[in-house]
Amino acid sequence: MHRAAHVPRLALAALVAVALAVVAIVASVAPAAADKTAAEGTLVVDTSFVVQTIDPARMFEPTSQIAVKGMYDTLLTFRGQSTTPLPWLARSWKVSKDAKTFTFNLRRDVRFSDGTPLTSADVLFSFRRVINLKGSPSFLLSGVKVSAPSKYTVVLKSSTPNPALLRIVPNPSLGIVNSKVVKENGGTDGPGADKTDKAEPYLLGNSAGSGPYLLKSYNNKTEIVLEANPRFWGPKPSFQTVVIRNLPAATQLLNVQRGTNEVALDLSAQQAATLRGKSNLKVITNASANLFNIDINTDPKISEVAANPHIQTAIRYALDYPSFVKLSGPGAVQAPGMIPTTFIGHLPPTARVKRNLPKARAEVKASGISNPKITMYYPSELTINGISFATLAQKTKSNLAEVGIQVDLVGKPVNSFLETYAAGKHPMSQSYWGPDYPDPNDYLVFTPGGLAANRVNWAASKDPKLAALAKRAQRTVSDAQRAALFRQIGRSMNQRAPFFPLFQPAQAIVSSGNLTNAVLGVIWPLDVRAVGTR
Amino acid sequence: MVLAIGITFVAFVLTQLVPGDPALSALGPVTSADPEAVAAYHAHWGMDKPLPVQYLTYLGNLLQGDLGVSQLSHQPVLTDLQHAIPATMELAFLSIAFAIAVGVPLGVIAAVRQNRASDHALRVVSLAGISMPTFWLALLALYVFFFRLDWFPGGGRLDPGTTPPDQITGLYSVDALLHGQWSLAWDAFHHLILPALVLAAFNVSLITRYTRSAILEVINDDYVRAARAKGLPEHTVVVRHVLRAALPSVVTVIGLVFANVLTGAVLVENIFAWPGIGQYAYQASLELDLPAIMGVSLFVAVVYVTVNFVVDVLYGVIDPRLRLS
Repeated sequence: MHRAAHVPRLALAALVAVALAVVAIVASVAPAAADKTAAEGTLVVDTSFVVQTIDPARMFEPTSQIAVKGMYDTLLTFRGQSTTPLPWLARSWKVSKDAKTFTFNLRRDVRFSDGTPLTSADVLFSFRRVINLKGSPSFLLSGVKVSAPSKYTVVLKSSTPNPALLRIVPNPSLGIVNSKVVKENGGTDGPGADKTDKAEPYLLGNSAGSGPYLLKSYNNKTEIVLEANPRFWGPKPSFQTVVIRNLPAATQLLNVQRGTNEVALDLSAQQAATLRGKSNLKVITNASANLFNIDINTDPKISEVAANPHIQTAIRYALDYPSFVKLSGPGAVQAPGMIPTTFIGHLPPTARVKRNLPKARAEVKASGISNPKITMYYPSELTINGISFATLAQKTKSNLAEVGIQVDLVGKPVNSFLETYAAGKHPMSQSYWGPDYPDPNDYLVFTPGGLAANRVNWAASKDPKLAALAKRAQRTVSDAQRAALFRQIGRSMNQRAPFFPLFQPAQAIVSSGNLTNAVLGVIWPLDVRAVGTR
Repeated sequence: MVLAIGITFVAFVLTQLVPGDPALSALGPVTSADPEAVAAYHAHWGMDKPLPVQYLTYLGNLLQGDLGVSQLSHQPVLTDLQHAIPATMELAFLSIAFAIAVGVPLGVIAAVRQNRASDHALRVVSLAGISMPTFWLALLALYVFFFRLDWFPGGGRLDPGTTPPDQITGLYSVDALLHGQWSLAWDAFHHLILPALVLAAFNVSLITRYTRSAILEVINDDYVRAARAKGLPEHTVVVRHVLRAALPSVVTVIGLVFANVLTGAVLVENIFAWPGIGQYAYQASLELDLPAIMGVSLFVAVVYVTVNFVVDVLYGVIDPRLRLS
């Protein structure tokens, strides 16, 4: 036995020696490597990538918007979390009284990164390309015709009154590309561009904009690197380099505490709360413009139970709204209606629906249905603002069980969920809506006959009065009048619409303490050109 | 070739069986309500053709080395794989090398000291290694070695904004060395260590346990006793006679380890933001990105066939009797 121990001891000693050597080497050089992460002049943005492309005319994903917003200029813009359109490439604009014609006067000192002056021809090309590519952002200019009557004038003509257009044009998807460069690389803006445009591969490797940053490298799995544009016509950005890095939230939580000039975009409100009080960090949590809701189908052929108005009212009053809000963490709010509190026309907090179990039980009884049973669908693997739909669905099920409504839950992958949801086949769905543009018109989809309403078979004929009101609101130009009309719509919807607005989740942004203007935008997650240092 | 056709056929059929239209999530809720936009999306990605035509077109392109374009990345699948495969391979090679270098000696120690304190300790540790969820271990390792001790970087293959070396093998550490970029090579290696060790944890335990039991099967055989009776030193007996006889079982396990690395890589790659094949496959399957799913399936099939072939060859090298038979 004495000899038997000889080999293992040697092996053990060798293993320990190797391990110690590795640790010693790593420890001796680690600080130098860590310092490199915080290189001077580099802004590091950590986010969980949602990016398919950075071709402005094809993209509509949050991560793409950060990069594209840095590289391409738009006619108008927003500052911080404000939804008031501000001049950018357009120094002034005029809207016709019927809100159908929008005339933009362009700045004359703007040049693309290759030195070419930016003119109305580039705007015309960029907008027509968006329309004719028929990609994700094409709906932004639905029914809009673009013309360029002079070198620095652009006119947008909408087929219907479109007061939201001024809040649509700041969208990074409507960033202006250098038409000469894009055409040289296979781009086209004419009808049939969805089949003939070949510029995307070029735009995945190069930028063709006039913004403060140029594309240095693009990898949709790891990082997007932007470098300052030396020819930028506006105020110079604070950082020479911006690195947008793909990290899961758990890793972002650790990285932002160790880095400098670093921003974490995807922490949940609870995770962000653990960082409050740390002197080297700035933590901002507030209510997101995303809105979680429950939809219920109004077609008895899909579900007799779901389509019963008494059951719908019962569900409205059975939901425990404050506990949904609590689930999302500090900063979340109960949605007062289907328009988030960030936009004009939202309802005041006093208009929120309050839980009323006796009323809900009475409505179940009035429905005449004994032991009502509904199937609710939800996107099983989807998590938005750190909230899993599976958790929300469980909560809904237990809330409704308290008033005697049995809910069978069916979780489906997003693609499968969307297919049956869009076809209006779900008796009930746990759903959400993120703003496409910061204007109440984006929420007309929930009014009778609208896109989302059609998914629950709530046609205009089922509530003609509300449908007419929605049409009026859509055409109204004055913001004050629109706000009043949308509030009127919101109050009616809180009583009889087949949508139950639950809450606006908390969103958080955590940044190094030395950074300024690192705030979550309403449309783009972060405006890297605005971020500076103290 | 038959295998490739079989794999692509199964992947194609299975993907088609999953209900759901990729256009809906790719275009978003508003644009996907426009039938013209959905039709344009289907036409763009060749989804407007009948399924047999889609499949035959894919096979035709495959014969020319064209794996199609990913709906998710909008880039050729071959280009995506050229980036993802080396990333995973770099991780896998170091991880497996570490697992073998540590697992085999520990298995030998445990077997030789059977039922003694060190054996018990190693069995408990290896059981813990097998039982511990990889994602939890990854987060723990990141917390301790990156956040608390600052010994390793917090994810990715290189420091943010660092330009990767020009691709030769796609393994950043190797390519940087081949180009003589020493600090870049260290940067790549430094990023590699922690995820590789985490990925190795399960496999160290697995190899330790298998090596231990393989050695215990032969350690009391007559030829081992004869070797000891001849007066050979114990280390010679263990290494030349016992370990060699146990090696075929250990090599089989190492083949399995390759499969573990590929599957375990999904979670480790996610936590460490490692842009490998695991992350690529996960995203592709979530989004029903057919060309990407087919590309990954082909790659995995090739890996399994290659590993099985190498294991078979190694059997012959280790045990000449097998070679003769």
